Amino acid sequence: MKKTINIPLGSQHISLLEPVRFKFECENEKIISVDSDVGFVHRGIERACTTKFKFDAIGYVVARVCGLCAITHSLSYTAAVEKLLGGEITKKAKYLRILLLELDRIHSHMLCLSHTCENAGFEAMFMRIMGDRELVMEIQELLTGNRVQFDYINIGGVNRDINSEVAKKIIENLYEVKQRVLGYMDEFTNNWSLSLKFKGIGALSLDDAYMFNAIGPLARASGLNIDVRNEIDYLPFNEVGFAMQTQSEGDINARNIVRLHEILNSILMCENVLSGLPEGAIFTKLKGKPNGEAIVRFEAPRGELMYYVKGNGSAMLERVRIKTPTFASIPVFSHIFVGENYADAPAILASFDPCLSCTAK
Amino acid sequence: MKKIKVSLESVREEIESFYDYKKWHFLTLNGLALAENRMEVQWIFSKYEALDEVIVYYAEIEYTDIIPSIVDMVPSAIISQREIVDMFGVKVDGSEKGLYLDEDSMQRPLSGCAI
Repeated sequence: MKKTINIPLGSQHISLLEPVRFKFECENEKIISVDSDVGFVHRGIERACTTKFKFDAIGYVVARVCGLCAITHSLSYTAAVEKLLGGEITKKAKYLRILLLELDRIHSHMLCLSHTCENAGFEAMFMRIMGDRELVMEIQELLTGNRVQFDYINIGGVNRDINSEVAKKIIENLYEVKQRVLGYMDEFTNNWSLSLKFKGIGALSLDDAYMFNAIGPLARASGLNIDVRNEIDYLPFNEVGFAMQTQSEGDINARNIVRLHEILNSILMCENVLSGLPEGAIFTKLKGKPNGEAIVRFEAPRGELMYYVKGNGSAMLERVRIKTPTFASIPVFSHIFVGENYADAPAILASFDPCLSCTAK
Repeated sequence: MKKIKVSLESVREEIESFYDYKKWHFLTLNGLALAENRMEVQWIFSKYEALDEVIVYYAEIEYTDIIPSIVDMVPSAIISQREIVDMFGVKVDGSEKGLYLDEDSMQRPLSGCAI
């Protein structure tokens, strides 16, 4: 039997500024087994939702699960409660929800791409993408009042309307972002540090993607057609031009390319939302208290997010269950690491775009 | 959402007969505290590329029961099995305690008998 050594990555590591620890058992440079620990900052949000807050406040509580994808969390919870209350929200509110959801995806994917560049030692590109990401943050602040962790979604609609000046600024900024993303596409495809270095590294086959229930850009880079926007009708994604983006190689490079195409598709969706924005109210008063159980899924930037909500007709809920994309993907992450070189582990980890804030909910 | 009641003895057999990993996708294992030291365990699946088709297998159990593992059929289930062990203080076959909670933190916080 060959001698093996154990090398930890985390709980604090320069490639990922959130607490997760992978313990790699290595034979020379090769990883042969992986153990993971994600429980460093558990916050007890599911318990707080049923013991400390009434149902109409929880949308704001779950927005704190994650600063980056706060919209997806509050939207998923709110949609579950709206399902239990019955009644329909206005089309304008639905369109504005899509707008924020896709802006969230754009800036989150840009963050992931910039970290990928940082892991490749391409610091200049990291700074460039982070700088360009400010264009999206600026729009989000104009729309919601915050750069991250927005309190925008409300049971029955959204909290703020949009005016023509803000709409004009969004169109201008998104045009700029689009031009710059087209530039990144060239870099990620042709630059040695970002394409050749990452081709064939950290690959996940299509069969393993099915077997391990992979989700989000990780699954789509392996050719698995899973995107919740294609499987739900709470919001009219198809009306505004949603198109699933897939690759087949399943490696780090393919994940980067999927994210770049998704940014472009999200920009198109935002433009279509603004050009076809219906007139009318942004809020509908929904009466009653949630009774019964509902499961709602949305596509967060990192993949499928699920909320299970059970109410008993009172203001306090019986159960709020949050299944976050990174948490559900820990087994597939561990599977991908096996057989790879330890030296590539930080770049592979960054390509998963893990969110430990979501995981330690 | 379609709910199917199963017993702990039959749940593996039920899931094995229905689960085609290229058609269905395991969402999560969920727990729900019931009255009188009982809880509901839910195995939740959704269908690929179908419009909101979700199936929930559920069993009502006592906290002292041992929940069978489905990791041999659904490898990704290991993480939510470990979560339910911490959050409800139940035993799941082959799933260790200690994913989220330390020894000195509140134990089984989502059960009806948190300590």
